[in-house]
Amino acid sequence: MTNSKTTELNRRRMLALGAAAIASPFVLSRAAFAVTPAEIKSRGKVLIGIQGDNPPWGFVNSSGKQEGLDADLSELFAKELGVPAEFTPLAVANRIPALTSGRVDILFATMAMLPERAKAVQFSKPYGANIITFIAPKEVEIKSPADMGKYVIGVARGSVQDTDVTKAAPPGTTIRRFDGDAPTMQALLSGQVQAVGGNIFYVPRLNESKPGTYENKLEFTKLYNGACTRLGEKEINAFVNAFIDKIIASGEWGKIYPKWMNNPLPAFPDSIPGIPFTVG
Amino acid sequence: MNYQFDFGPVIEGLPDLLWGCAGTLGLALSGMVLALVIGIGGVLLRDSRFASLRWLVITFVEVIRNTPFLGQIYFVFFALPMAGIRLDPTLTAIIALGVNGGAYAIEIIRGGVQSINKGQIEAGLALGLSRTLIFRLIVLKPALRAIFPSLTSQFIMLTLTTSIASAISAYELTSVGQAIETNTFRSFEVYGVVTLLYLVMSWLLMQMFARINTRFLSYPLK
Amino acid sequence: MDKNQLLFLLGGLKWTLTLSVIGFVLGAVAGLAVALARTSGISWLERATAGYIALFQGTPLLMQLFVVYYGLALAGLKLDPWVSVSIGFTLHASAFLGEIWRGSIEAVPRGQVEAAKALSLSYIHRMKDVVLPQAIRISLPATIGFLVQLIKGTSLAAIIGFTELMRAGTIVSNQNFKPLLVLGLVCALYFALCWPLSVYGTWLERRLVTAAR
Repeated sequence: MTNSKTTELNRRRMLALGAAAIASPFVLSRAAFAVTPAEIKSRGKVLIGIQGDNPPWGFVNSSGKQEGLDADLSELFAKELGVPAEFTPLAVANRIPALTSGRVDILFATMAMLPERAKAVQFSKPYGANIITFIAPKEVEIKSPADMGKYVIGVARGSVQDTDVTKAAPPGTTIRRFDGDAPTMQALLSGQVQAVGGNIFYVPRLNESKPGTYENKLEFTKLYNGACTRLGEKEINAFVNAFIDKIIASGEWGKIYPKWMNNPLPAFPDSIPGIPFTVG
Repeated sequence: MNYQFDFGPVIEGLPDLLWGCAGTLGLALSGMVLALVIGIGGVLLRDSRFASLRWLVITFVEVIRNTPFLGQIYFVFFALPMAGIRLDPTLTAIIALGVNGGAYAIEIIRGGVQSINKGQIEAGLALGLSRTLIFRLIVLKPALRAIFPSLTSQFIMLTLTTSIASAISAYELTSVGQAIETNTFRSFEVYGVVTLLYLVMSWLLMQMFARINTRFLSYPLK
Repeated sequence: MDKNQLLFLLGGLKWTLTLSVIGFVLGAVAGLAVALARTSGISWLERATAGYIALFQGTPLLMQLFVVYYGLALAGLKLDPWVSVSIGFTLHASAFLGEIWRGSIEAVPRGQVEAAKALSLSYIHRMKDVVLPQAIRISLPATIGFLVQLIKGTSLAAIIGFTELMRAGTIVSNQNFKPLLVLGLVCALYFALCWPLSVYGTWLERRLVTAAR
């Protein structure tokens, strides 16, 4: 029985691979993954994609519990739905695939709101903010993006800093990509790279290990973070937006936010060019 | 909404992917050369007169064969710099591949050496064959014949193992695939095609080695 | 390294063990089916399973995990990540074990199969009572060798973001910034799992060779 199932899967895969060999874009419809708040309630749990190694947003603490700003927001969201949250820790580059392939219902995964991403996923209203920075040891001289070319730079593969650094660095700069924030910082600390693209939270974490060594050299984009659902899923998108409005208006979010971010809750824009907050 | 397959971005990235294949083969080849050097050196030391050297080789083989390659390559890349040894990703990958393959090569080559029949060497001497002829016909060729299949399948395994070097940002097929995936979010399509490319590479290598085997190492037919 | 970090590593170890056991047990069941199909004498079935085995032996485990991980979800199966990672390891194991066991089924002397046929034993009896008991004995060293490969292979689940021993190691070394210590310890834990198995496999192999003399 198991055998027939595996060969069937095999055949299906071969079919998919065969399609690639035909050198033309190949379009095939698949079963719908669409999920509504009502379905989540009747299922009895909400599947949340989150980061597992990116404090203070989403990280697994040393006793194995999911913590951080995104985790707290997720718990509030689950409470709003009246079901428990089930976390799937995701690597940076796995976040969108995990959502589009139906592995999770929603992402609270430090997803920076970017126009190119808005083509792949549906963003909610923003709930957090961050600044993408360029980080290097203090003695390293970096005044403008043109100076970046002199150093070997590390970034987390598929992150916003990946895009920003790639765009800002002069052509020919050596950029090394790693599977997530942890190996990227490790690479800087062990001297495998001389600078990294990161965000405002990299420096405190890096300096925990080598006090007073690193600083932010350049600032790139100011970013807002939003929750993500699949494109075209109206009900759940409306539900998330109403939820975010509600916790901001009640002041609940304003109490939690500074606990993780060391900053008061910023004011969020009503719209961002190229990124619709609602299903149009 | 429905998921729609779209192989367009992957097709566009095909030239890059083929360069990635070249990177993969380059890493595998350099790794294998190092593995053979370690293998031959290890066999010599393994039968050394000094017990400490023998134990060093045995420990090396056991440690490498019983720990994951990802751990080994992380160790060389992230941990060794703390001890003052810093290597770039390509060199790290080659060394990790060579050390890993070397541990297996020691066992394979040792098996080949042990398969040489001492009686035949004596028979060769009795027949008055020159030393070089004895080495070529009685020692080298049978030993090569014995180890060739295992060594070549080890090489194919090493080629597949290079995909793990993407974790330290070495340039090879998997990391090229990941770069395309990052820009297009077409994970299944990208990894499907990348998998297919690995399959083609290992199939071609297998055919090539089979040819070499029948051409140079098969028993003479009378 | 403090106590919490050590406990976190051990939590990762638990997942490494779980993945290994699931992959091995389910892979063994499926692998037996693959081996039997591969030696069935039915030509299309033999060719299909040969292709199946070649597919898994000719591609990197990391890619197999990626394709299964994303592919299952696209095929409409909404599964927990650890379930789909387990399925990936199960498929991988079924192909490798299927090939190992095909070899040992064929290593059972033909005369015995013919004798069993002459006694008009059914296929099931022939396999269950004559061929498989011997084949399993012959295959044990290679089977254990593969189990070691599988345990080491579960470390690749880390690249997908699954918190088993290897990823637990990178997370902890990012907290205390002692990669030499933490990665060394992680490798030592893998060694503690794999080495006794390897030694047992070598011992079995030696015994088998001696018995065959």
